[in-house]
Amino acid sequence: MRQLLSFLLLLFVSLCRASSSPSSPDAPDYHEQLVLRPLPLSSLLASFNFRTNITLSAFEAHNFRYFPRSLAQILQHAGTRELHLRFSLGRWDAESWGARPWDGAREGGTGVELWAWLEADTDQEADQKWRTLTNALSGLFCASLNFIDGTRTTRPVTSFQPEGNLPNSKLANTHLLYGVLPHEVVCTENLTPFLKLLPCKGKAGIATLLDGHKLFDASWQSMAIDVRPVCPADGECVLQMEQTIDMVLDIERSKRPRDNPIPRPPPGHELKCDTSKSYHSDDTCFPAEYNADQDWSISQIFGRTMKGTCPLADPSVPSVCLQIPDSRSVYTSDGTTENKNPDKLSRCFDITPSSDFELWLPLPSSPSAPEVVTPDTPLLYAERSFTGHGQERGGMQTILRNPSPTSPVEFIYMESLPWFMRIYLHTIQARIEGNASVPSSSLIHEVYYRPAVDRARATQLEVRMRIPPRSTVFLTYDFEKSILRYTEYPPDANRGFDVAAAVITILGEGRKRYALRTTSLLCSLPTPDFSMPYNVIIFTSTAIALAFGGMFNILVRRFVAADEGPEMTLTTVKGRLAGLAARLRGGRA
Amino acid sequence: MASSINPLSWLTASRARARALPLFTRAAVAGIVVFWIVGVQKALWDVRAWGALVPDEVGLTSLYRLNTFPFIHLNFFHAVMNILALTPLLERFETEYGTLTALALFFGPFATLPAFIYLFIEKFLLRGNTAVMGASIWVFLLLGIEAMKAYRANPSFKVGPYSIPTWTSPIGILLAMAALVPSSSFLGHLSGLVVGYLCGLGVLKFLAPPEKALRFVEGKLNLMGRLPHYISVDQKKYGRFGVLPSSSSPASAGISMGRGYSSLPAAAWELDGRWPMADGKQTCLTSDQTRLGPLNSGLLRLRRDPRILKVPPYLSLLCILVGVIWLFLLPLDDYSRRTYISENALLPGQVHTYFGGSDQNVFRAYKHETSALAGKTNIEINDGLETIIKGLGLKVSRQNFTYRSAGREYSGENLYAILQAPRGDATEAIVLVGAWENVKGEVNRNGIPLVLTLARYFKRWSLWSKDIIFLVTPDSITGPQAWVDAYHDAHDSARVSSLPLKSGALQGAIAIDYPQEERFESVHVVYDGVNGQLPNLDLINSVVSIAGGQMGMGVSIQEMWQHDDRYPDRLRTMLRGMLKQGLGLASGPHSSFIPYHVDAVTLQPYGVGWQDEMAMGRVIEGTFRSLNNLLEHLHQSFFFYLLMQRERFVSIGTYLPSAMLIAANFTIMAIFLWHQSQIGPPPNTPAVERQLFLPLGLVSLLQSLSVIPLSLFHHAPESALPPLFALFALINLALPPALSALLTARYRPSAQQYHLLQSFSLLLLGMFLSSLATLNFSLALLVGLLACPLSFVRPSRTAAGRVTCYLLLSAVAPTAVAVWVWGLGGWGRR
Repeated sequence: MRQLLSFLLLLFVSLCRASSSPSSPDAPDYHEQLVLRPLPLSSLLASFNFRTNITLSAFEAHNFRYFPRSLAQILQHAGTRELHLRFSLGRWDAESWGARPWDGAREGGTGVELWAWLEADTDQEADQKWRTLTNALSGLFCASLNFIDGTRTTRPVTSFQPEGNLPNSKLANTHLLYGVLPHEVVCTENLTPFLKLLPCKGKAGIATLLDGHKLFDASWQSMAIDVRPVCPADGECVLQMEQTIDMVLDIERSKRPRDNPIPRPPPGHELKCDTSKSYHSDDTCFPAEYNADQDWSISQIFGRTMKGTCPLADPSVPSVCLQIPDSRSVYTSDGTTENKNPDKLSRCFDITPSSDFELWLPLPSSPSAPEVVTPDTPLLYAERSFTGHGQERGGMQTILRNPSPTSPVEFIYMESLPWFMRIYLHTIQARIEGNASVPSSSLIHEVYYRPAVDRARATQLEVRMRIPPRSTVFLTYDFEKSILRYTEYPPDANRGFDVAAAVITILGEGRKRYALRTTSLLCSLPTPDFSMPYNVIIFTSTAIALAFGGMFNILVRRFVAADEGPEMTLTTVKGRLAGLAARLRGGRA
Repeated sequence: MASSINPLSWLTASRARARALPLFTRAAVAGIVVFWIVGVQKALWDVRAWGALVPDEVGLTSLYRLNTFPFIHLNFFHAVMNILALTPLLERFETEYGTLTALALFFGPFATLPAFIYLFIEKFLLRGNTAVMGASIWVFLLLGIEAMKAYRANPSFKVGPYSIPTWTSPIGILLAMAALVPSSSFLGHLSGLVVGYLCGLGVLKFLAPPEKALRFVEGKLNLMGRLPHYISVDQKKYGRFGVLPSSSSPASAGISMGRGYSSLPAAAWELDGRWPMADGKQTCLTSDQTRLGPLNSGLLRLRRDPRILKVPPYLSLLCILVGVIWLFLLPLDDYSRRTYISENALLPGQVHTYFGGSDQNVFRAYKHETSALAGKTNIEINDGLETIIKGLGLKVSRQNFTYRSAGREYSGENLYAILQAPRGDATEAIVLVGAWENVKGEVNRNGIPLVLTLARYFKRWSLWSKDIIFLVTPDSITGPQAWVDAYHDAHDSARVSSLPLKSGALQGAIAIDYPQEERFESVHVVYDGVNGQLPNLDLINSVVSIAGGQMGMGVSIQEMWQHDDRYPDRLRTMLRGMLKQGLGLASGPHSSFIPYHVDAVTLQPYGVGWQDEMAMGRVIEGTFRSLNNLLEHLHQSFFFYLLMQRERFVSIGTYLPSAMLIAANFTIMAIFLWHQSQIGPPPNTPAVERQLFLPLGLVSLLQSLSVIPLSLFHHAPESALPPLFALFALINLALPPALSALLTARYRPSAQQYHLLQSFSLLLLGMFLSSLATLNFSLALLVGLLACPLSFVRPSRTAAGRVTCYLLLSAVAPTAVAVWVWGLGGWGRR
């Protein structure tokens, strides 16, 4: 009987699916893809991408289908047109790994970053909706997004452009708000809600590889959620949600078994030695090059194999792609077909939906063959650090290097600094090295600056610059550290205060933009001694002063009722005035 | 009204009151004192057990406790505080209501009512048995009455927008007392206060004895006539405000109490309602003198006593002696403390260290590599090291620097590599320094391979929360200085190049100085920074705890290779530390880090034992794991301390008085001499006008002249330093007699000017030393001790005296001491 019932239920469900799918026959609602790219220095970049589409009309009608209802309702409630949420950890090593994945569009600075276009008539209404949005997302993603208050919110002017197609009529009354929490530590509790938004919930498909232990052991990782309206030239506008996870794994570290994660020194005979050294012997070993390539497999790297594909995903999009030169051989589990792409640098795999998928990349057959795809050179290298020392003043220095031998690079440098770093705008200057033909004064094209308001608003600085080819620019400015109130210090006051990453938006041809973020910084402010004896001294002194003051007052002051003192009547006042007048007159005479 | 009272008049009034305390107040105070004196002993009669209000002890036969408990106090402090609080209140009450009433009330309801309330609550509601005693119950009772009175006159006071009724003020005091004073009985005070409030409201009026009866008793016994300080029933209503001066009285400005005050019958002036004017024309000062009581006039006589002028030299000698003795007491167990880890995040020695095993094979290989580089140029060495470090997968960078100092040029190239924290974001960093040559010029044969092996080992771990910077410098002083200057952008970019690669804020630095080839026994921790700055004590404690506790190797400080933890060794360690701190020289690669608030130490293995390089590596691994645990910059523990053994220290609070006392001796003498300069020669002619120009000019000239040797020594080339020093020492010898000859010949200064000259010099010295003592204790103490004779020199009349004095002073002059130390050191080496 139960079997019959479940059969009926299945039949009903499949009928429903059959009836609903014709609504968008040519636009698949959901697809997912994992791109694996070995990087130099024995690292591996894994990019997970999940994309869900929903027509705007279905969205308005609350017919969410694959689109997560929890998020959709928040978006509707807060009047959000476009949303970008980032959880990031670690740093991208551009020197070794080259250009960033997705042109930097799917990453944020360390911590949590959120920006959104909200529909509102006034700034106040936008602030109100922003507060609603951050509080709701805070609950949804288990992150302290509710701490994005007025002091951490800015309204960037030039750095961000909507990615989707916002109708021009609506663009007029949408507001872009940007908030960042550099101190937020991204961890497993943020990954779980992230996976829950997926249609397959991490139970099937590439999402099965997402394990908190591996993800948060990565050298760099970024989780992104992007929601944007997309209007194709023909057809109905859709709301597109893209969930992206990028991580760079250290292959040697990831291959360590989970039950023995301690990097004990290997036994002497397992050391890879450079035997060409003259002193090489059993007890003397010059280690071979660290960045020697390594073989790896998915189960070694991710700790498990991939469980088939997500049945809801569009089968026409290959689930797993691997970017290595065609010359290298790859072994996969049975039933998988390998399709090499015409660019000779990548290949994709068609996976049987129901069976586990495993991939093994052996060492290159010949030492001379290219091991990995040479990463692209980034358009710009950026490094930011503090200058100066002491607790009163400080300086910020950003080193921006254009590696291109031919083309200049134009970009917008944006900082949103906490209010307690008061920058001296007059000290902002750009100094160029390497290209003497361009005067330093012509580097900065435009500055947008919105000063901070103490305890109310953050500093916002956007600088549009252009760096000539093969040159390095030092952008520096000074700031003053203000003294916080006693209660404004966090419990770990001596740690310092995190300063969010600077966002660099490189302007390409047309609307094409590349993004880049510097590392975040730790700014130490003048901190009082919060130690226990200090507090005890302060509190007892205050209390004793108050108590003693009151006691002393009562003890020595003589309270006199009004009727007991000498009377101050009109006549005495008159008399005094008369006396005064007489004296004045006498003095004049 | 009250504001128009001259403050002086208020003072005199209060003094007057103290002299004329009414009878019952005196009796009560005397009672308290007597009971305290009796309570000093416990063997004969334990007065506290006898008279305190112990709820369970109160029965029909021991009802006396209800009356005795306010007189009995726990200890001296308790009694004194209560007397101080009670006297003015009780005096006020008595003068207002009369002695008899006060007597009746305080021996009757005012003692028993609160006691009953207390007993009821404590025994029957709380079921406790807490004994109470002390007059504070009366204090609160009287405060309650006063507060109700104040409330009637002045219902509320305003604090900002809030108006607070005045009657609540004793409650505030009650709460503060309960919170701040240990073992004070909140309930007891509260019951007193409640009775006070009731009394103030007039509810308890029926308890007061009828006036008629009082008058009768008074009349029959002629109490007024028989008892001194008795307040009669008739005068009581003026009692309180009778002492108020009237602001309309023109004499109130120069109020004078006159001699006759105390002899006047109290009633006479109090009834008058005004201040008695004995002699309105007397000035304040003289009236003060004539009127002051025996104690005050005694003090005044003492002030005028010529003998008091003999005290300051002895006092300042005492200061010096106490200061020196204090210093020598510090190593005792009672004055020094054991060290402890203050920052709990450090958790030193709590992790297992894994460095070892096949890492030793790697270490041997790196040692071969670095041995091959020994003797080559700085650049070649760095080339060799760079290839090795790059092979480890770390980012490497170099920095050129050139310093010119004392005519010599120190140039070199630093090499450093950054191990980026695997999941971090370049906000914080810790540094591992290996100088190619240590301070003595020995090649760091084991240290550099150890740094390389550790770099390779650390790279394998993914737990680092901070970047780790490996820094290899060509020498131990200038290289680290250049690097850390450039890291904080405090460098002169013409001489020292900027760092191309940077990380976050430095949280700590460890330097390895390991030239020894054979196996070692113990680790020597060097911690002195430049200018006497010290790293946070937590860092030293962590190293001691890891090396000594976890690894089981010996740890020593201040080159005390043997330390038996007894007084002489502790003292020697402390004095060595102080000497190094006072000289303020860099003692290793770590010294340059400390001025930038980066806590750093150098670790030097020494002795012959069985510990190998891997053990040293494990010590560093453990220390780095501890530093890695830090959530905040090291701030918990002490920055000012003197270590006298690896696990024993004194903190600034304990040792500072020593240097401060020595600095105070100069200030005392300066004040004394300033005073002396006013008094002329023996037939005391007071108030001579001081001639300030010559002394002031000379002192400021000499002080400003000190710039010359400072800049000379700073800029002279190294070869010129010894002759320059000799020259300066000679000038230093010749200058005082020459100057004095010039002075006497040209200006013929008076004795007063000599006094002033010395006074100003000592004043400056005392001022500088006391502020220096908070920054560099040892330097202040050393300079202070050497300058001590300056407090006691006086112009001498005989030539022999002058010569002896000159020789003595020259012998302890800093230049001479430097020669002595150098000569002794040379002799000692020979």
